[in-house]
Amino acid sequence: MTNINGKTYAMNAITPMKAFYTPILQLIFFLLGHVKAGQADLINLSFIHFARWVVVKRHKFPRLSDSQPEEQLHYDYLLFFSNFNGSWNQYIDAFADVLSIGLNLIWRWSVRYPGARPVTDFKRYIALVQFDTDYYYVAYPRAAANDVKAAFRVNDALEDFARASKDMTPAEFGGAYLKFVTQVQGDLGATGIGPVGA
Amino acid sequence: MPNQSGNVYGLTILSPIIHGAAGDISHDCAIRDYLAGLPRDHRSLFAKVSSTHLARLVVMDDVVFVGTPAREEHLQSKYLVFETNFDGDLDTYLERMAREAPEEVHAVWQHCVGYPGVKDPAAFAAYMKKCQIETTYFFADVNNKTVQQTLRALKLQSGVAHFIEANQGKSASEIQTAFRQFLEKVRHAPEPLAGEYEGHPHLPARGAGATGRTDPLAEESEGHHG
Amino acid sequence: MVNLNVADIQGFVLRGYNFPFARYLLLELEGPEKGRDFIGRIIPHITTGQRWENKPQSTVNLAFTHKGLARLGLPDATLLSFPVEFFQGMKGRKEILCDTGRNSSENWDEVWRNDVVHVWLGVHALTPEALEEGCAEMERIMQGTGGAYLRQAQDAKAVFIDNKPSSKEHFGYTDGFGNPDFEGADRHSQPGQGKLTKEGDWVPLATGEFVLGYPDEAGELPVAPVPHLLANNGSFMVYRKLHENVATFRDYLDEQSRHYAGGKEKLAAKFVGRWRDGTPVELSPDAPDPAIAADPKRNVNFTFGRDLDGVRCPIGAHVRRVNPRDSAGFHGLLVNRRRISRRGLPYGEYVPEGEAVSDKDDRGVIFMVLNSSIFRQFEFVHQQWIEYGNDAHQGSDKDLMLGNHDGSGKFMIQGSTDPQNPPFVCARLPQFVELRGGDYFFMPSLTALRLIADNSVDPR
Repeated sequence: MTNINGKTYAMNAITPMKAFYTPILQLIFFLLGHVKAGQADLINLSFIHFARWVVVKRHKFPRLSDSQPEEQLHYDYLLFFSNFNGSWNQYIDAFADVLSIGLNLIWRWSVRYPGARPVTDFKRYIALVQFDTDYYYVAYPRAAANDVKAAFRVNDALEDFARASKDMTPAEFGGAYLKFVTQVQGDLGATGIGPVGA
Repeated sequence: MPNQSGNVYGLTILSPIIHGAAGDISHDCAIRDYLAGLPRDHRSLFAKVSSTHLARLVVMDDVVFVGTPAREEHLQSKYLVFETNFDGDLDTYLERMAREAPEEVHAVWQHCVGYPGVKDPAAFAAYMKKCQIETTYFFADVNNKTVQQTLRALKLQSGVAHFIEANQGKSASEIQTAFRQFLEKVRHAPEPLAGEYEGHPHLPARGAGATGRTDPLAEESEGHHG
Repeated sequence: MVNLNVADIQGFVLRGYNFPFARYLLLELEGPEKGRDFIGRIIPHITTGQRWENKPQSTVNLAFTHKGLARLGLPDATLLSFPVEFFQGMKGRKEILCDTGRNSSENWDEVWRNDVVHVWLGVHALTPEALEEGCAEMERIMQGTGGAYLRQAQDAKAVFIDNKPSSKEHFGYTDGFGNPDFEGADRHSQPGQGKLTKEGDWVPLATGEFVLGYPDEAGELPVAPVPHLLANNGSFMVYRKLHENVATFRDYLDEQSRHYAGGKEKLAAKFVGRWRDGTPVELSPDAPDPAIAADPKRNVNFTFGRDLDGVRCPIGAHVRRVNPRDSAGFHGLLVNRRRISRRGLPYGEYVPEGEAVSDKDDRGVIFMVLNSSIFRQFEFVHQQWIEYGNDAHQGSDKDLMLGNHDGSGKFMIQGSTDPQNPPFVCARLPQFVELRGGDYFFMPSLTALRLIADNSVDPR
């Protein structure tokens, strides 16, 4: 399944928007980008490596030659690209359960968006507007976002410990090593294979 | 600047695909066909352009009709969507694509309108930028670590877990000696390969018969697995 | 306040009865007409969810596989409207469930390998005599109608200790805590069984998480087959025969505890998150506490919010994996739609600690789950929280007890500088539990059973 590489799923979605609404959405994104709290929930959910929204105005589809016909569109389009861990259903369930307000704020301007709750209608809409990835590359396919963050914590702890313990006696080292282990003990989950995307 | 989050650049490119056929296959099908056969692991073109965290290529056929009262409408051209998340600046990245993965880049983008070839990396970069769409809102969970830092950290994490397990119950001086050796190994460990994964990328671990875990820092990265 | 139509809901959907003896009759249906006749004759015997004035000596409940419903001649449109996982059956879901290697169907009991199970007829009883009588009655109906053949009778019974039925299973753990509390459940609800409010109180979950036809935690009626009359007041059941490698478990526990400073019982407690007497480790991390274990107001009443480091109850311990409570953040919202109602009994002879035992002996647990969506609830918990660890921030590590281990996995016990509670890695995990069969079932309401028996199921 080309939407998945290792532990990560590449979702693409395109939704039409009445051109009248586009500036409102752009303002919302501008505000979200400048308010740290807007990102806090996403970071706490901790299953997205990278995600982006891209507004493509109806006259702004790239045109590189006169031989290429001009687009004649009524709607502006909102593109969404996500790189997330977990299954399609889990991802949408989690968003609907936890972030429905944020989702509605972004997608209510899209035509026929049903709202993030109840989730079954939302899933139907996403299935309609999602299109499949043809080629997906992940530099660290065996690692989920959690694994990456845990790895950096372990690294930092190791560097600190290596530095501090350089000239310790064995007895001192023993105590310091125990402390080090308790520091990293929550971050040692194995990287590797994830479950089949259900 | 919305294209950027910390040190990571979120590039979105929509390249119009040439209408019609290239020989006996249409240009968009030719792209899809080619991509289907391309390796996605450490042999990927994006592993060569090694500042790439995650990247995708998608042939976008058309917009979606979501149902009445929406108006039905269609794109005049198909577009090759290129979504990538990488370290560093845009021009460097685009020129690296042309320089370090010319074969794959040419095979894909030759089917797109206005593509100037890969021989001149600056011209290629300029062409790609003509197709760039500004990312409106970009989220990056980790935005301050490079690909190489990430790969090394993951390998080290694995090494630490293995070390703790292997030295459990030993005396303090034994652990201290082993730790010094461990740090040496870490210092001399080969650079991990971007894009590498073992076995099937998304099937669950099999039952009995799979190999036991070995010390990840003892592995040589000879370009094994596929 | 939800008023459940308890006379229409099969009792097994709402509660586990707590009877020490059971026999699960696995039947193949003869064909549509005789099969419907058989169902019609069974209906008066079905135990409903109504409260008992006097406890009956035995109970009867009935559930169908998709193949069973097809054999009964339900309309195609109805058959197609069932969720895809139920249509595929448990064997068809093996990739998702990691039922591979030693858990794969080649190693299952024959009855489960050959797609012959159409009906699960569960007879629970207070005494062995009542069990025989109850089963004999079922046999009489099978013979009389010629509508069903018995393909296997799976016996199960509580582990008896000092001649009294206990809640122990073969590894020595006391089981059966923590079944979810939901609206209208009408049983003694215990604090800790439901979901957490933002203020930290325990309230019941939405009924629709466990019974079709009622609103669920997502604020909608759960996805259900058509017509409504067939689905309402019904539920889906998962049945898994779990063989326990008791010798391997005892050897592993003995070997690991030689190196673990907290001692053997504490190590066993860290695996699961409960001491073997049932005391939650979170409430009593240093020793079992029979007073807590016996107190329904306390024995499921805990959260992990003050133990995010896992120093009391390890982050990957079994009870924490399958119900993270408040430790998944967002006031438990991500957990509320992943709860499952569990039933079951051990099977095979119990061998006390210290006596010779072999993995080859036939013993384990018959494990059943009731939920309104097998995919969203049971399969999710099993695939994401047992066979994987990302949501618990444990990477690809699997659950020690139930994971499908290939010998390379590990379980990390978080600890502190307290010498009695050290950090400890349990490595090279063997496979303690092996799957020997099972399937997915639909447990209809009494109304739905009548509809099926009368051949009047009418999809829209």
